[in-house]
Amino acid sequence: MNLKKNGNGGRTVQRALIEGAAILKGMGVTFRHLFRKPVTIKYPEQRPAVAARFKGRHWLTLYPDGDERCVGCELCVIVCPSQAIYVKAAENTEEKRVSKGERYAEDFQINMLRCIFCGFCEEACPTGAIVLGRDFELADYSRQSLIYGKPMLQEPYPGASGRDPHSEV
Amino acid sequence: MSQTPANPTVTLTIDGHAITVPKGTTVYHAAKQLGIEVPIFCYHDRMPPLGACRMCFVKVEKMPRLQTSCTLEATEGMVVETESPDVVEARQGVLEFLLINHPLDCPICDKGGECPLQDNTFKYGPGASQYVEPKRHFMKAIPLSPVLTLDRERCIMCWRCTRFGEVIAGDHALKGHERGFATHIDIPPITMEGPSKFIGNTIEICPVGALTSSAYRFRSRPWDNLGTPSVCTHCGVGCAIRYDARGGEITRVRSRENAEVNDVWTCDVGFFGYDYVNSQDRLSRPLVRRGDTLVETSWDEALNLVATRLRDAGGDHAGAIGGERLTLEESYLLSRLYRSLGSANLDYRADSLAAPDTRDWGWGTEGTMADLDRAGAIVLIGCDLIEEYPVVWLRAKRALDRGALGFAIAPKRLEIDRYLRHNAVVRYGHEALVLLALSKLVAEARGAEAPVEAAALVDLDAAALASRAGVSIEALRAAARDLIAHPPASFHVGRLALDGPDPRAVLLAANTLRAVCGGGALSILRGRGSAAAAAVAGMVPDALPGLAPTDDAAALGRLRTAWGRDIAAKKGLDTPGMLGAAAAGELSFLLVAGADPAADYPDAEAWRLARAGVGFLVVQDVFLTETAKQADVVLPALTHAEKNGTVGSIEARVQRIGQARPGLDGARADATILQAIATRVGVPLMYGSVHEIFEEMTTVIPGLAEGLAFPLPRRTARVEREAIETILASAPASGGGATLVPVTSLFRLGEMTKRSPGLARLAGRPTATVHPLDAARWGIANGDEVEVAFDGRTARLFARVTDETREGQILVPRSLRLGGRAHDGTVRRLAPAGTWA
Ligand code: SF4
Ligand code: SF4
Ligand code: SF4
Ligand code: SF4
Ligand code: FES
Repeated sequence: MNLKKNGNGGRTVQRALIEGAAILKGMGVTFRHLFRKPVTIKYPEQRPAVAARFKGRHWLTLYPDGDERCVGCELCVIVCPSQAIYVKAAENTEEKRVSKGERYAEDFQINMLRCIFCGFCEEACPTGAIVLGRDFELADYSRQSLIYGKPMLQEPYPGASGRDPHSEV
Repeated sequence: MSQTPANPTVTLTIDGHAITVPKGTTVYHAAKQLGIEVPIFCYHDRMPPLGACRMCFVKVEKMPRLQTSCTLEATEGMVVETESPDVVEARQGVLEFLLINHPLDCPICDKGGECPLQDNTFKYGPGASQYVEPKRHFMKAIPLSPVLTLDRERCIMCWRCTRFGEVIAGDHALKGHERGFATHIDIPPITMEGPSKFIGNTIEICPVGALTSSAYRFRSRPWDNLGTPSVCTHCGVGCAIRYDARGGEITRVRSRENAEVNDVWTCDVGFFGYDYVNSQDRLSRPLVRRGDTLVETSWDEALNLVATRLRDAGGDHAGAIGGERLTLEESYLLSRLYRSLGSANLDYRADSLAAPDTRDWGWGTEGTMADLDRAGAIVLIGCDLIEEYPVVWLRAKRALDRGALGFAIAPKRLEIDRYLRHNAVVRYGHEALVLLALSKLVAEARGAEAPVEAAALVDLDAAALASRAGVSIEALRAAARDLIAHPPASFHVGRLALDGPDPRAVLLAANTLRAVCGGGALSILRGRGSAAAAAVAGMVPDALPGLAPTDDAAALGRLRTAWGRDIAAKKGLDTPGMLGAAAAGELSFLLVAGADPAADYPDAEAWRLARAGVGFLVVQDVFLTETAKQADVVLPALTHAEKNGTVGSIEARVQRIGQARPGLDGARADATILQAIATRVGVPLMYGSVHEIFEEMTTVIPGLAEGLAFPLPRRTARVEREAIETILASAPASGGGATLVPVTSLFRLGEMTKRSPGLARLAGRPTATVHPLDAARWGIANGDEVEVAFDGRTARLFARVTDETREGQILVPRSLRLGGRAHDGTVRRLAPAGTWA
């Protein structure tokens, strides 16, 4: 605000008082926080507890009997806004059953560098196969290693990702 | 209204818009013309309406109930509503009922993403179902054939697939079984003819994912596919197709519409025969012969070697065979290279013993395939239409359905027999006699109207000819009457006659019949891929590019201007001529481009001698074919799915193909290879792109234009009295044993179909078809493994016992290569049916 141009001295004093009060109020907030617990933590010595609905790295989940939930339908592929997913499907056979039903994902890749963790893939998945987990420590040294393939994405045992393997979709 | 009796029309109102349509138009089509979409399932515009699905309901003023618009003919003053509340509700009801038993398979269904049921449900469906009870369940994914998978749960009983078999293909490949709740689609329990040749079309028109392709199964989703419009290059019909590719792999082929050629259909070789492109067996390095083996080498070394040998051979001692598998630009380049070197030893016919004068007897149609639509009679002379040019049969069937008459003169009963009026199953090699007898009968019946040719027939005894050929004279008389009553006739000579003992006789006799009938097209249906058009591009020994006579000054002038050099007005050797010269040690260089004479040339011995005698054999191909295995240098080429350019069809129609995937690493387009050779032999062929080559072709070949059928010269040869004498003398005498008849099977075309797994399984085991009487005589039964002995050779085949053949005639695969002679053979049983492993 341009005080000179305004040319009204009384108003200027009034304004200075209001602004001074505001500064004191702000300092007060700062002062109060001096005695509060800090919100930052000493990462990585200390680990944060992420929110219940936090979206971190993906898992491909399993049924209790170890069958893959993913049926290779590519709905996650088509919904993904950053085109981060590649899926190639194949057919289950008598000898080699990977998932329930007729079809499974022979190849499943997510480019973690592209993913924006929007969770659309999880929403689109008709079988609840893909879930976004809680792990956010995804840094690495090469681009290649950040394209996660099935070995990285598959949960190691049913329920390992935190998803209840018994629940429906 | 404009009610003229010749062209009656009616005017109706749809959703408040008035439209005038020809009388007979359905309300559905009238709405479509207005741009109003009415959802459908069972109706398909290539088949008559059925009214099975009730999806197309509309409300018509003054009609008590909602009407199915696909079956309802528009009438004068009709007032139609397509979006009234009761129509909307009825559609919702229809969809809700359809979905009661429809599984929630969309995520794993190959149709998902391009499914009319999905789309209609999304657009017109109720949003929620009141049905909560368990759905009906059937076994999933039933393989109905090696290429067709059926999911009964998904079928909505629209009858499109079964009606395709009844109305369009005529093979009744799929049928509805049981009734009511239990109705389902299945193949009929007994099919004599073997697998349908058109089942891919049912996959394409099935409005749900009930019928899906086993070859495409789960390979990609519709949104992954990158489509490239192209043309099928298998059999020579030239159907418009679209390649779909994902990540550089061809995932499937679908048909495109081309009213002049395939309408909207393809055959199964086109539909399922694409995996050869993705094959692991593709050649990707040039090979050069070192002693007994072929070893990999660099392109430079291979090309230098080829160029050196070609230069050494010089004009008259170099020859080239190919054209079927080349683009027209490549055929043209090959012809230009050779003609520039002073050689006219060029032939596009790699698998034919007879290569008569190309201008008179070149392969291809007179006129176009679409002319069949106007034919009064369709005469098939040794032409197994459905096995060789399947999609032409669909057009022929349409003509027969609208009243044209079908005739066949062939050494076997054709699969399409039931649609033909007359089917003369002749003694092998006797087609010419039947044609002469028929000509004589037609000439007699037409009397004074008959043209001059009839004079040459005057003292023929039709009855005697018929009995020599083994057909009934009464049947021929009836055929002659029908032929006269149904002009114009369209004559088609095919392989069963052309690869027989005397193709020239058949052609002359056919031309005689044509003349006495008063005209009509005489087509030679022979040659796959681009063969017929390769001749136009210049791959012929006895004509210039454009099939101009070799001494045509204007044509020579055009070539001289375009090529900037003098072209000798001379004729060269055709394939039999080149092989003969090679055997005699007079051919020092032979280039085989996209052909496999070692496997296809009907006379195996002639090829063996030629190979032994030729100085240097170069093969450009995609696979290590039989010919490539014997070559001195093998140059890996690209497939049609990997290059741009134009191809030709049996009617010499010039159509553009499109590159659907990157070329295989290490292989090169035939055009690139030919240009590299040309540069090295000192006649550089410089073009900036394939388009430039085509442009030059249109300047040197008047009449050549994209999309059009090049007008092939009309066959003018006249039958003289002496010719008839020769024919009468040459027809093989009927010997005592059984005659072997080489036949073609659609699914056994060679290197490409072999590498498409579905087709390989459709082709099944190689068979010997034996007449039941012969079978009884030799003690063999259907399915037995047998040994066919002839001429000191033997072949192991599987017996098929049917009366498709005559008594005393055994149908055997063409791959036995009988050399165009009639062989007597005997059949011996090796093992009973079912014991083969
Ligand atoms: S979270 Fe979002 S961006 Fe990441 S893969 Fe899933 S859909 Fe794509
Ligand atoms: S993760 Fe889910 S959406 Fe993605 S392919 Fe698998 S089943 Fe389909
Ligand atoms: S046929 Fe259509 S609606 Fe039915 S499961 Fe397949 S995609 Fe879904
Ligand atoms: S299989 Fe397909 S085309 Fe055939 S009746 Fe069922 S839904 Fe219709
Ligand atoms: S489309 Fe009219 S009843 Fe099926």
